[in-house]
Amino acid sequence: MREDDQHDLELHRRLSGRDTEAFDELYRRYGRSAYGVALRVTSQEVIAQEVVQDAFLALWRAPEAFDAARGAFRSFFLSLVHHRAVDAVRREERLRKRTERASNLEPATGEDPAEDVVEDAYLRVRRKEVRAALTTLPAEQRNVLDMAYFGGMTQARIAEELGIPLGTVKTRTLAAMRKLRAALREE
Amino acid sequence: MTEDHEQIEELLAGYALLALSGEDAGRADRILTEHVPGCARCRRTLAEYRALAGELALAAPPVEPPDTTIAMIHRAMEDVPLAGRRPRRGMLVALAASVVALVAMGGLSLVLGGRLNEAQTQAGTALEIVSAMRSPGAQPVHVEPQGDLPPDSGAVEVSAPDIRRLYLAADAFPDPMPGRAYQLWLGSDGEWTAVDEQFWPNDGVLLREIVVDVARYDAIWITEETIGSVPSEPSTDGRTWQALLPAAA
Repeated sequence: MREDDQHDLELHRRLSGRDTEAFDELYRRYGRSAYGVALRVTSQEVIAQEVVQDAFLALWRAPEAFDAARGAFRSFFLSLVHHRAVDAVRREERLRKRTERASNLEPATGEDPAEDVVEDAYLRVRRKEVRAALTTLPAEQRNVLDMAYFGGMTQARIAEELGIPLGTVKTRTLAAMRKLRAALREE
Repeated sequence: MTEDHEQIEELLAGYALLALSGEDAGRADRILTEHVPGCARCRRTLAEYRALAGELALAAPPVEPPDTTIAMIHRAMEDVPLAGRRPRRGMLVALAASVVALVAMGGLSLVLGGRLNEAQTQAGTALEIVSAMRSPGAQPVHVEPQGDLPPDSGAVEVSAPDIRRLYLAADAFPDPMPGRAYQLWLGSDGEWTAVDEQFWPNDGVLLREIVVDVARYDAIWITEETIGSVPSEPSTDGRTWQALLPAAA
């Protein structure tokens, strides 16, 4: 386990004891990543801010929802943020309007988030690993992953948008997830 | 189980990405309830894909949240009730003396007999449920799963006229979908009120004590809601369990 993952576990343990300093430290570590993904999914600052607030409050309210046996805290929490962002998008029925802007898993040209936002070194490293893994995917696999994850679209909707069979979307998704799993597997 | 592992993995990948709908979502629910808990391979796959779904968030550029965010969170933290608090207890233990027939509670008895040692934090609640069941006028109600949920995922609600508390117990309660938690609702003439905090089963076991005057209500409903949300009415897009409560004596 990485040292930073262990530090997260310690912060989470203190959080369970209602330690507000541990909470603030988790916010400092993950607030930017949380807001980044929420903004990417929702495309709206106000909603993204609500998503981040709700996610951190959910963490404060029910820290026991995280089970260390099931993986890293980072994955759990960012997954929670992503889930809430997708829920928000679907609830607001903005999906169709946003489709054309459904973003790209790769940063825009010349965009290097590490240059603009200060974040912990381990997150910067992991971020690069994730992005590097994504670049190894064939374009059609990355596209379905992108539409599902950042576009908040269901596989049925993706099939409709791309004019391809649902089975093809599922196959591409599985292939993409398998490759990413292999590339990002941690010791 | 008629699905092969390739199909199951395909579903789990879509599930982890929140991308399933319609029939696939129903199949995933069934697999998650009926197959995954007993299949080490699928449990590992699901854990890996869930973790991956979290890591994918890092593909988005980090952005500094607005300055007001943490202040708003701090303010809200002061108002947020804590889930998972130990339930208040005390009065019920004194009611345990009388011997009252236990209705068909085989599942619950199994839970109480087999899980207490490994779930000691729930022991107090379990004891109180037993006490409530033995108290005069106790009326266990089976809260039935709706839709495609397996019949054995039902919960038992126990309350008694002189006990202003309600107890929920189950031994095969599925985990909620990622990012969701269960919410208890009590209904009166079609008006639903969210009661108590959101909750999760612990390894399938559900033991909850809720301080409420059950006599004011005529129905019970458990729904899946987004974690931390305060819904104004029950959501119907997730798993649900329902039952009518008996009229007060």
